Amino acid sequence: MMSETATRRLRGRLLRDFLARLGVGLGGIGVILAIVLIFVYLLSVVLPLFKPPHMAAVAAYPSPAGHPSALATAQTLYLALEEQLEIALRFSSDGTVTFFRPDDGSVLERRRVVPEGTARVTSFAVGEAGSGAGGFLGAYGLADGRAVVFGVRFEVSYPEDVRVITPLLGYPLGEVFVTVDPEGRPLQRLAIQGGGEEEPTTLAAVVGEASGIVAARFVPEASFLGDGLTWEVYHGSHALGTQAADFLLLDKMQRLLYVADEAGALTVLEVDDEAGLAVRQRLALLDDGATLTALIFLAGDISLLAGDSRGRIHQWFPVRDAHNRSLLTRIRGFELAGGEAVRLLAAERHRRGFLAAGASGEAVLFHATAERELLRARVADQALELVTLAPRANALLAQDAGGELHFWRIENEHPEISWSALWQKVWYESYPEPDHVWQSTSASNDFEPKFSLTPLTFGTLKAAFYAMLFAIPLGIMGAIYTAYFMAPRMRGLVKPSIEIMEALPTVILGFLAGLWLAPLLEANLAGLFALLLLVPPGVLLFAWGWQRLPLPWRRRIPEGWDAALLIPVLLGVGALAWACGPPVEKLFFGGDLPGWLSHELGMGFDQRNALVVGLAMGFAVIPTIFSLAEDAIFSVPRHLRNGSLALGATQWQTLTRVVLLTASPGIFAAIMIGFGRAVGETMIVLMATGNTPVMDFSIFQGMRTLSANIAVEMPESEVGSTHYRVLFLAALVLFLFTFLFNTLGEVVRQRLRRRYSNL
Amino acid sequence: MTLTHGVDRAFLAGRPPARETTETCLEVRDLNLFYGEKQALHRIALHIPRRRVTAFIGPSGCGKSTLLRCFNRMNDLVDGVRIEGQVLLDGEDIYAGSVNVVNLRRRVGMVFQKPNPFPKTIYENVAYGLRIQGVNKRHVLDETVEKALRRAALWDEVKDRLHDNALGLSGGQQQRLVIARAIAIEPEVLLLDEPASALDPISTLKIEELITELKDRYTIVIVTHNMQQAARVSDYTAFLYMGELIEFGDTNTLFTNPSRKQTEDYITGRYG
Repeated sequence: MMSETATRRLRGRLLRDFLARLGVGLGGIGVILAIVLIFVYLLSVVLPLFKPPHMAAVAAYPSPAGHPSALATAQTLYLALEEQLEIALRFSSDGTVTFFRPDDGSVLERRRVVPEGTARVTSFAVGEAGSGAGGFLGAYGLADGRAVVFGVRFEVSYPEDVRVITPLLGYPLGEVFVTVDPEGRPLQRLAIQGGGEEEPTTLAAVVGEASGIVAARFVPEASFLGDGLTWEVYHGSHALGTQAADFLLLDKMQRLLYVADEAGALTVLEVDDEAGLAVRQRLALLDDGATLTALIFLAGDISLLAGDSRGRIHQWFPVRDAHNRSLLTRIRGFELAGGEAVRLLAAERHRRGFLAAGASGEAVLFHATAERELLRARVADQALELVTLAPRANALLAQDAGGELHFWRIENEHPEISWSALWQKVWYESYPEPDHVWQSTSASNDFEPKFSLTPLTFGTLKAAFYAMLFAIPLGIMGAIYTAYFMAPRMRGLVKPSIEIMEALPTVILGFLAGLWLAPLLEANLAGLFALLLLVPPGVLLFAWGWQRLPLPWRRRIPEGWDAALLIPVLLGVGALAWACGPPVEKLFFGGDLPGWLSHELGMGFDQRNALVVGLAMGFAVIPTIFSLAEDAIFSVPRHLRNGSLALGATQWQTLTRVVLLTASPGIFAAIMIGFGRAVGETMIVLMATGNTPVMDFSIFQGMRTLSANIAVEMPESEVGSTHYRVLFLAALVLFLFTFLFNTLGEVVRQRLRRRYSNL
Repeated sequence: MTLTHGVDRAFLAGRPPARETTETCLEVRDLNLFYGEKQALHRIALHIPRRRVTAFIGPSGCGKSTLLRCFNRMNDLVDGVRIEGQVLLDGEDIYAGSVNVVNLRRRVGMVFQKPNPFPKTIYENVAYGLRIQGVNKRHVLDETVEKALRRAALWDEVKDRLHDNALGLSGGQQQRLVIARAIAIEPEVLLLDEPASALDPISTLKIEELITELKDRYTIVIVTHNMQQAARVSDYTAFLYMGELIEFGDTNTLFTNPSRKQTEDYITGRYG
């Protein structure tokens, strides 16, 4: 029997053992849990990007035209929604606008835009919003060649802390009537764009039988006395000849006028400052006998969307050709299911999304950049006559053939994201060809965001590649020499010194690389290449000479210390190479190697380039690779080495055929972990790459990596926006990258370790 | 307990006497070895006969392994070792300046205490010695590998898995593989440094049988802790104590009728 104390001690020991196991177990589970939580968090932010969009009917009601019979006399010309979806507008052909609640159709107010008793309304047009909050500019074209230009604004006020939105209707050109066609012909089609009160406004119209186009430009000028604005008016005209003019579009820069007929013939006219019209390009939008059924601008007024009778929608935008001419080019196409003719197209106001409707009352949402069909829904049982998207693209208002209005809410937060938009080449507006581009924001509101992760992933791999190109040979060779040949005392000095390099904050490395190394290398590029060319032969020459020295001389250096002799040699050869850089540069490269590279070889030279990053990040990664590889080589059992030597193998044969083979899992793991570190490294690439997201593998070009991109853009991205979520997606990709490399390294290491376990 | 540390003399008495020695293969002349300041071997002199098994016995730390390592200059790899005197292989001093160590080790093979197959296939382990000499002809390698494995009495056990990893073999098999690897390059001398001390009794027996078979072709020097083993496999035995060669002679004679008191004490188990 155990004594009392022995039992107590045993219990104490068991308790400690239990606690230790519990602690270690909890720690391990905690680590795994933390990683899983990071993953889950990243995923939870990213997932909404891929949530399918959704739309739901809110209300359907008869058009607020009064009673149905009024519809016959006063057709709806245009529907609009205010930004907060509290007010809807209906412009009708009798020259009135009706303000009503989109939720239930109850009429708030009815106003005349075109005074009673004037000429018949023949056309209607709206232009881009001059001021914010869903306001816009519009015009009624009249049968007497005049137009009524009006502006709609929504004023938001907060009396007693309740938001009140008041629609305001005005005549921004100062007068109710403006003359568009001095000859007084009816304005059959109308287009208008204006930039607000201080900016010019342009109207264009189709007049007469022979497809005459007239333009009128109103330019504000401050009067001498400073007591108000006067309007300088210019008129211009152009005859199209045989082509009909069924569609008329004016871009918001008021520079380009697009006129198309139902056969798809399109004429692009340039509008000059004085309303003069000149043909820029003529082309056929459709080439197979289909009929053009709809033509609109995509947001930004750069792309045209053309719908045809076979259910296809074509996107066109101007692309510069070899002669630097900007020519309209077909970019991509979309299709309505079943080849149903496109009746209506409506563009979102700020994004590259649009809505198409056929004859069946079904509406389909697309996104142009992402080349995606997002959503289809049957809005009405009859064909839609008119459709409009809310300024924030979160609702639509449509009128069907029976005069009924349909109000739908749309949830469509991230239409820009698709596999092709993230990873494949996309032809962006104003780009000469499809490309991988990351450009998430710009100063303009009409900017087409370019969220291609490919250049960032490419940059990440490029930076890691050049870093590894520098770090692997040095790290592994150094490890081999240190572990296999170096005298133990020297090893005791060298190994910790290199490992201490790892403790150097990478921000310091990045700082030095960006501000000191990059300019230095730019100025001494020839010296660097001389260094690369001279050092290896210099070292070999010295080694050869050393072997030739008489034995007593050589004996002075104990075995395994010979590497120390190389220090002065390296310094000497390095200094020599550096010194002969400038003369060589002067002699062969006109004194400017970077310039010579870009002029003679066409290799662009960035000061902050992959060379700098390779050196700096390589420097950061060397300790990791060196330390792990050195451990692996050093721990190869001595009896294996002796076994090989005892068979008559030389040291070199033993090293290459037995030691490295046995250490290979460790060396592989060292490289993988080093690579993982290079992929995730942020500060160095942030400071030394120039952060240009280009896809160029040249060593003299910069790059932008996933990690640096997150660091640069996260502070300026709006929480919950597509940009924000894409940055999280980049983080997730980065996480998966490093996870993959480390797992790969670890799996290989474990497998080989198991195989070699009974060494 | 008749056999504690000693040797059953009746068993030894029944053995036929060793064949007459003829030729000396290795001659050690006045060999002193120092680890730094400490002298590990003192004035060793002995003749190791060709195609016989010579055993080195003695207590731990007596220098028997160190002496063995002098024969293929493995001591060169140890820091701070200094050697005085001569070791003659076929009459040539292996410590002379002109001697190529790599070549020497090809002529003097060595098997270590712990089986040390390389993490390669069985085939590549045996072919290793040839490959490092630049032999890469398939049929030469095939032939040599088979011959070496047959001589090492391993062929039947591994012929179907020559291209499996050698680390999958048992300890005894690994040790025979290492012997096959050593004899594949046809050395003159085979040094065995306690080759069976890490093995189980059955594997030990196999190794001992193998040694007996190999002695027709090779001069074998074996270091062993196990006196029965020395008695069973060797023709000649050297007893070392504290870095000195106490007695060297015919195994039968040494075990049955040692001429020195220290030998007598050791083989009867009074110390060691």
